Parts: sequence; structure tokens; C-alpha cells
Amino acid sequence: MEGAQSRPIPVLSESGVDEVDLTPVRTYWQLVRQRFVRHRLAVIAFFLLSFLVIASIAIPFLTGNAWAKTDLTLINKPPSLIAPFGYDHLGTNTFARLMKGLQTSLFIGLSAVTVIVVIGITVGSIAGFFGGWVDNALMRFVDIVLSIPTFFLIVMLVAFWGTGNVWVIIIAIGLTGWTTAARLVRAEFLSLREADFVQAARALGASDRRIVVRHMIPSALAPVVVAATLGIADSVVVEASLSFLGFGINPPEASLGNMLTGAQDFFYRNPLLAWYPGVTLVLVVLAASFLGDGLRDALDPRQRVEV
Amino acid sequence: MARYIARRLIQAIPIIIGISIISFLIVYLSPGDPFDRFRSNKVSPEVIENLRRVYGLDQPLPVQFVKWFTAFWSFPWNPTAWGYSITDGLPVRDKIFERIPSTLQLMGVSLFFTVVIAIPIGILGAVRQYSWSDKIIMIVATIGYALPTFWLGIILKQIFAAQLDIFPLFGKYSFGKEGDVLDLAWHLALPVATLTVVGVAGWSRYMRASMLEVLRADYIRTARAKGLASSRVIFKHALRNALIPIVTLLGLTVPALLTGAAITEAVFTWPGLGGLGVSSVVDRDYPVVLAFVMMGGSMVIIGNLLADVLYAVVDPRIKY
Repeated sequence: MEGAQSRPIPVLSESGVDEVDLTPVRTYWQLVRQRFVRHRLAVIAFFLLSFLVIASIAIPFLTGNAWAKTDLTLINKPPSLIAPFGYDHLGTNTFARLMKGLQTSLFIGLSAVTVIVVIGITVGSIAGFFGGWVDNALMRFVDIVLSIPTFFLIVMLVAFWGTGNVWVIIIAIGLTGWTTAARLVRAEFLSLREADFVQAARALGASDRRIVVRHMIPSALAPVVVAATLGIADSVVVEASLSFLGFGINPPEASLGNMLTGAQDFFYRNPLLAWYPGVTLVLVVLAASFLGDGLRDALDPRQRVEV
Repeated sequence: MARYIARRLIQAIPIIIGISIISFLIVYLSPGDPFDRFRSNKVSPEVIENLRRVYGLDQPLPVQFVKWFTAFWSFPWNPTAWGYSITDGLPVRDKIFERIPSTLQLMGVSLFFTVVIAIPIGILGAVRQYSWSDKIIMIVATIGYALPTFWLGIILKQIFAAQLDIFPLFGKYSFGKEGDVLDLAWHLALPVATLTVVGVAGWSRYMRASMLEVLRADYIRTARAKGLASSRVIFKHALRNALIPIVTLLGLTVPALLTGAAITEAVFTWPGLGGLGVSSVVDRDYPVVLAFVMMGGSMVIIGNLLADVLYAVVDPRIKY
């Protein structure tokens, strides 16, 4: 919206020919990109995360079922060209399995964040737009959800409704993680409700639905995008923890968490098995949090944390 | 203050009821029941029906809920207030209470080390902002914060227990040494190290941020301007104010003292509450699961209240 306002405005001159004000005006998105690029770590994080996403899709695609194939003659064999991380306790190519596990973990992380954002925006915008008792009731509900120990709640949902089911895990993380997003959207809505452009839309007779969907949600998105990026890290770790405890993805399916569980039994014979999935997990978490920091500075400079 | 606490406790009642309804619904509306694993050709359906009747699972859901909820709060004097465990028939209250000391030991010691290490690091980082030591602190803290607890636990276990063989792999006491304090400390070392590393990473960043904010205040400039020694400015004037948000954080850590270490406990097979919670979920031991959620929820509420009260105690500007 701010972009639309600062676009060059055609000026009608005396000669009747349109003259264009040529002073360079930076649009909102140009400013965002400029602020983001200045944050070097965030740029590196962006490329690292993109690289991990692409590798986790491409490598399992190119190597077929190498991530699941076991070969008793290859058990705990050292690294080679086609198996840069060697073979694990079942004779599976560790690198191929790691990429498949990363794919599962990233898929769950990103999908869970999507669920979080959808529920958060819905609840937050309803509470912020209508205010009054609706707001009160929804915020008390947020308080209740926040008071239940989150990880235990997720474990309960997953264990009772379908251990090892990817979709149950995604929904469970989503159903427990939306409270922050909802609060952020609500806070934005409370101030946007009085904003001039919303008043103008209302004066023009726009329906509530149109005001919320077309005018208010786009303006309230910035903090949600930041929270969602940071939320990827949390979701990936929660999935790994669930799989580690045996509630998440179970072998033969691969996930970073269950690769770690498996590695625990081979501390002596193949000690590096615990490092590959762990370091990958840390890279994902670090990349997501730096990307989140960079996006916050770029999209929402008011929220900037002094460091 | 007393009126404020009373008001907050009254406000907590609907939240507690909400928590109990939600957890009750999650538990009882989920497919299957605790006796599913007994169902086979060798067990007659009447036996299962009997078991369900003994545990009250045959009654309508609202009746079960009201009975359970009203009995729940008599726990201070009634050992069976939380019902009986489905796995072993022991009173749930005793099963849970029996685990509390282990978890408190683990979390208490970790929290102690976390605070003792993180506060000086945070002060150092803030006082020497942008120096090399500050940069190193921030990098290490950022990486430490990104370390998933269970992976750190596994790695510490691998290096110090499996490869170097300095610390035990799991458990709380060696066989035959139950109650030996030295043996306990030896077993505590790795799980405490795990929780402390992650804790210090978070707390030192928090402490640094809080200290930086205080150091920018006018009264600090005044203190420096009137010629006070730098150490006096930092420790006497700045530190005391920078600690205010930290005290609040301490209150918010209370619930984690009881429920937060489930994963670390699992890595090191520590006989605490986390392990009980997880195994009760696996066994669908409903009375234990529900008591666990209720206790966790109550701790969150008490922790939040404690944080607000502590805030008013340490900061005379705050009045309720």
C-alpha cells in the first residue's frame, strides 16, 4: 500500500503533455529489500535455508530409495564418493537418509507453521476486529492454551490420535503454537481499526469481510511473517524431539529426530552417526532464526531489537 | 498486595476450569481406551467391561468430569484425590509426588548454575559492548540457544560417558549406592550440563540486553559524571536495576522446574516427572495424564503470579 502511494505521479504540464516526476522514489518493497540485504547474516541464512530445502527435495528424488535400502555388507562402512557420510548401522547410505530425514523435518516444520499462521490470523483478526466480548472470550481461550505445558500437550495429541502420522504431528504442533501469532495480529488490528485508510474503506461502504481481508490483514502481516519464520525453528525441533521420544516419525521412515535415536546405540562403533542429523538440525534452527531477525529488521523496523 | 494476589487467584479459576475441560476432552474423545491392549481372545469382554466400570469409564462424560474435577482439589489430605493409576493401581498422587524430588534436584541445580554463570557473562557482554569478548559471547550464546536440548544431551553422553568414560550413561544412582550424595552428583553432571548450556545461552542474552538498556539511562550518566568508579556504577547502580527483568524470568521458570525437562530426562533416563508424563501417555494411563496436565497448568499460573509479585517486590515503582 505504501508502495502505491509513493509511485511516480504523472503531472499535467501547460503544454498538455504528461510529464513524469523522475526523482527516484523507492517503493515499500525496495526499502524492505535494502534493509534486508544490509543484514548480512540474514542473507547467508536465506541462501543456506534455500540450499537445504532444494537439497532435501532434489537428492532423495535423484537417488530413489537409497535412503531406505539396507545392505548388510555395508554396515558402518566409512565415507566414500557415493556415500559422503558413510553407512549406518543397517548399511544405509547415511547422506541419502539424512537428506530424506531433512525433507520430512522441513515439510513438517513448514506445514506446521502454515497451520499456526492460518489459525493465528483467523483468531487474532476476529478478536481485534470485533473487540468487546468476542475479543475477551478469545483472549481468555489463548490464556488457557498458553497455560497447558505445550510439549506435553503435543505429545498427548500425537500419542492419542496417531503416533507416527505426519499430518497428526503437523496439526498437533499447529493447534498448540498459534497463540503468539493470534496476539500479534490482534494487537495490529486494534490499532488498524482506527487507521485512516480503514475508516475510508468503511465510509465508502466496504463490507466487514472486505475491510478485514483486503485492507487490514495485509497491513498486519509483517510481525506474523517474522514470528512464522522464527516458528519454523521451533517446529522442526519439536518434530525432532517427538521422533526422538518415539511419538513422531518412526523407522523405516526417516526424520532427523529418529536418526538421532538410532545413533544412540552406536556410540562406540559409529560415533559420527549422532553428529550428522544433529548438526543439520542446528543449521536449520540457526538459519531460520537469523532469517527471522533479518525479516524483522526489514519488514517491521519498529520492532527492531537493539543489540 | 494481598488483595491483588487474591484477585489474581480468583481470575485463575476460569483458566483452571478451561484447562481441565480441554485436557479431559483430548483424553476421553481420543480413539481407543486404556484397556485396548487387554483385548484378545483370551480375555472375555466381561472382564474388560468390569475394568471399565472399576475405573468409572462406563459413566457419561460430564459425570466423569464433575466427579474427577471435584475430587481433584482434595489432594492435600486425600491420597486418592487424583484416582488410581491404570498401569499399576497405585494412587496417582503418590506416583507423582514420588517423582518430584528427582526433577527438582535436576532442575534446581541446573537453574542455580545457569543463573550464576549467565549473569556475569551478560554483564561482561553489555559493559564491553561490541568488543571481541562481547562478539564471542554473542556468537556462542546464539549457537547455544539453537542447540536442541536432546541433541546436546546425546553428544555430551557420547563424548563424556561413552568415549571418555568419565560420567555414567544414565540413571540417578549406581546400583547399591542409593542415597550417596557423591554418586548423585556424579550422575547429575551430564544432565545438569545439558540444561545449563542451553539455559546460559538464553539467560546471558537476556541479561546482556537488560543491562544495555539500563546502561543507557540518564542516572547512569549522572553517576559516571559525578566521578564514581566504574565498578561502582556497574555493580551498585546498573546491576540492581538490570536484575529486575531477570527476577521476573525466574518466576516464569517455575513451571519448567516441574515439567520442562522431559526430554533431558528421557536422554539420561532420569527418574523424574517428565519420564512419568511420557510413559503415562504411552500407556494411556488417563488419571496420571490428567493429573500431570493439571499440575503443569497450575504451575504456569502460579509461576506467572509469582513473576508479577516478585516484580513488585524488587521494583518499588511497581504498585498493584
